Amino acid sequence: MNSEVSAGKVKKDGFKEKYMGIIILLLLVVIFWAVFKIITPNNFGTPSKLVSYLQTSLIYAVGGCGLYFIVVMGLWDFSIGANIVLSSVLACYFSESLGYAGLIIAPIICGTIIGFLNGIVYIKFRIPSMIVTVGLSLIYESLSVFATRGTEQILSSEYRAFGSYPANLILALCAFFLAAFIIKYTKVGTYTYAIGSNEYIAKNMGVNVDKYKVVAFVLCGFFVGLMSILTISFGTSMTAASSMSSMSRNFTPLMGTFFGLAFKKYGKPITAIVIGEFIISLLFNGFVALGAPTTIQDVVTGAALLLIVTVTTKPVKGAVVK
Amino acid sequence: MDEEILRAENINKYFGINHAVNNVSISFKKGEVHGLIGENGSGKSTLMSMLAGIYPIDSGKFVLGGKELKIKNQVEANRMGVSIIVQEIGTLSGLTVAENIFLGNEDRFVKHGIKNTKAMVKEAQKLLDQYGLREISATAVIDKYDFEARKLIEIVKATYFHPEVLVVDETTTTLSQSGREELYKHMESIKNEGHTVIFISHDLSEVIKQTDRISVLRDGVLIDTVESKDVSEDDLKRLMVGRELNDRYYRTDFGTPVSQEVVLSVKNVSVPKEINNVSFELHKGEILGIGGLSECGMHELGKAVFGASYYRSGDVALADGTDVDSISTAIKHSIAYVSKDRDNESLVVNDSIRDNICLTSMDELSTKNIVLKNRLSEFAKKYADLVSVKMVDIGQFVADLSGGNKQKVALARWLGKNSDILVLDSPTRGIDVKVKADIYALMEEMKKQGKSIILISEEILELLGMCDRILVMKDGTVNGEFTRNPDLTEEDFIAKMV
Repeated sequence: MNSEVSAGKVKKDGFKEKYMGIIILLLLVVIFWAVFKIITPNNFGTPSKLVSYLQTSLIYAVGGCGLYFIVVMGLWDFSIGANIVLSSVLACYFSESLGYAGLIIAPIICGTIIGFLNGIVYIKFRIPSMIVTVGLSLIYESLSVFATRGTEQILSSEYRAFGSYPANLILALCAFFLAAFIIKYTKVGTYTYAIGSNEYIAKNMGVNVDKYKVVAFVLCGFFVGLMSILTISFGTSMTAASSMSSMSRNFTPLMGTFFGLAFKKYGKPITAIVIGEFIISLLFNGFVALGAPTTIQDVVTGAALLLIVTVTTKPVKGAVVK
Repeated sequence: MDEEILRAENINKYFGINHAVNNVSISFKKGEVHGLIGENGSGKSTLMSMLAGIYPIDSGKFVLGGKELKIKNQVEANRMGVSIIVQEIGTLSGLTVAENIFLGNEDRFVKHGIKNTKAMVKEAQKLLDQYGLREISATAVIDKYDFEARKLIEIVKATYFHPEVLVVDETTTTLSQSGREELYKHMESIKNEGHTVIFISHDLSEVIKQTDRISVLRDGVLIDTVESKDVSEDDLKRLMVGRELNDRYYRTDFGTPVSQEVVLSVKNVSVPKEINNVSFELHKGEILGIGGLSECGMHELGKAVFGASYYRSGDVALADGTDVDSISTAIKHSIAYVSKDRDNESLVVNDSIRDNICLTSMDELSTKNIVLKNRLSEFAKKYADLVSVKMVDIGQFVADLSGGNKQKVALARWLGKNSDILVLDSPTRGIDVKVKADIYALMEEMKKQGKSIILISEEILELLGMCDRILVMKDGTVNGEFTRNPDLTEEDFIAKMV
């Protein structure tokens, strides 16, 4: 053993290794943009329109970041939609008495508590997370109905700063940096990956698996709380949900998370989530520009997502995929 | 030198009805390399897993430096000064090399909840460099590296904090010569620091060379502890296997001619990175052994023959010319396969013995797609009894069974299918002696019925004892062939496999 030689000198990864994922994603952005731009040169893709596509994708990307902690562990959270609805109506309600403080604090607290509840029920009852969160989302939806007595909640025009630039961008960027920071610079990030990779080994290394699963749910809820601020500010009104009508709100954030997972190996999952949501937003608006019926839009968006994830992950033949 | 550092006191461990570790007491001295040997399933890995906190102890205790060890996981064990390099892969995919090295020990880099990733990476790289692993980057995701490199990273992880007791559990079989040398070097330096290494290996000459004393386990019982300089490999073998068992264990016939009829021919089969251009023929009523180191490609070869290897090139053909290119073709043409990975690839553990046995015979057992439960039960019971599975009833879940009984269920399934060609990959892995003997008897019986068996095994004695012919594989190719012969020794065999 020769300890004098170049001890501690860290090898730098090459440019290619470091930025490959982002390059692929940006290429996809350019390709989709170009395709729609060529087909509908007048209705699509001007700089100002791109900025407005970005606005919606920022909202979903914030939720997608939270969901990432859950999905990386191999768990699911289908209560995001209900969480958004409940957090948003509470944001409206509290903004009336507390102003911006109410608008910001109420959904964050509500979202975080919902995350905590999800986590606790999941680890205490030992039921699959998908069932736990679907079951609980019915309860959260009902709470939103009780809270509003079924009436539509409208955010007063005085408090809509987070519905447009620059406040929305600032809040979203804070969320992205926070998520990236947690992944890279805290134990939570490492343990989330460790549990996702092999729960048994992680346990043997002294990782408190149950605790960190709850932490992941709490983080997910927290980020959904942030997303709710952006959602209500952008949409300006929210009606309580019932009978699982909030379910459809789960899927757009989830799509971003899938991008994050697919590009995890390139080491920049949060960037992938953000650009991924932007790609989805491009597709959506591209079809709107084309005047395609919504059903066709759904078909193509779904297919594009499957294609992108398949191409980027290159699944191993015969590997078990769940 | 003679001072005791670690003592195992009357340690017991049960897995279901299997008494895996039976009242074992061993004293380990300061500054020694202590070998621990025994056949597969003799309890050595189980004993060490208890020491490292991976399994709980049923009764008895470990005493380290005069104090009882009470630990719940590997990291706690590390803090007490006990470290283990496990047999299987012990690093986590998706994490970087640095994160793997310090997993569970991040706290030294965490201040106010914030992890100093830079300092951690720097420290990890320093360690890697010190260990002569300069080509490994601490920031890289560990998936980038192959099995051997990941084992070397585990060595760093297990030794960088100078543990008082280091357990090396069958690590060398997966390492190349240079990797082994590196490991020996660290074992030596740990010993020179006055600490202790517990070394588990199947390579007896290696054990004699590297250790000061050797403890031998058989069927969970400590047989003896001997001075390495006083023993030969034959002495150790005798202690491991036990002479009285040796005779009735394996086949006793030699020189019985094997039919010339070829039932399966394998031609130029390759699987990228696993197998390179392997050809052989299997005869009717033949037990053909395939042996070598764990990573030599023999396990993949078993899959390739069964049509379960996805990237296979070359031909696997039956006597009538049928090309076996998928699992369903293989099963349809009476080929059976029992995987080495029993719980993941062979059995549906969260299902009943009945369903497991009937699974491949559903077509025969159903009439117009209707399946009657009674008929399944009858069928399953018949074959479970034939191999004498120890069970409450046929509806019992496979997950509740011991390793040996699980394997019997896997075999019963193919008996029920009445397969003519059986590919058995490590059929006696982790199985107690009694069940082993049953399985060997079953193989002999099948041979007599004219069935052909490919026996893939990491146990040399088993191959020598059971096979008509043995192919030895090395680095994905066939490196030698032996015909059944009472004078064949392990040395002849090992010479071809490493």
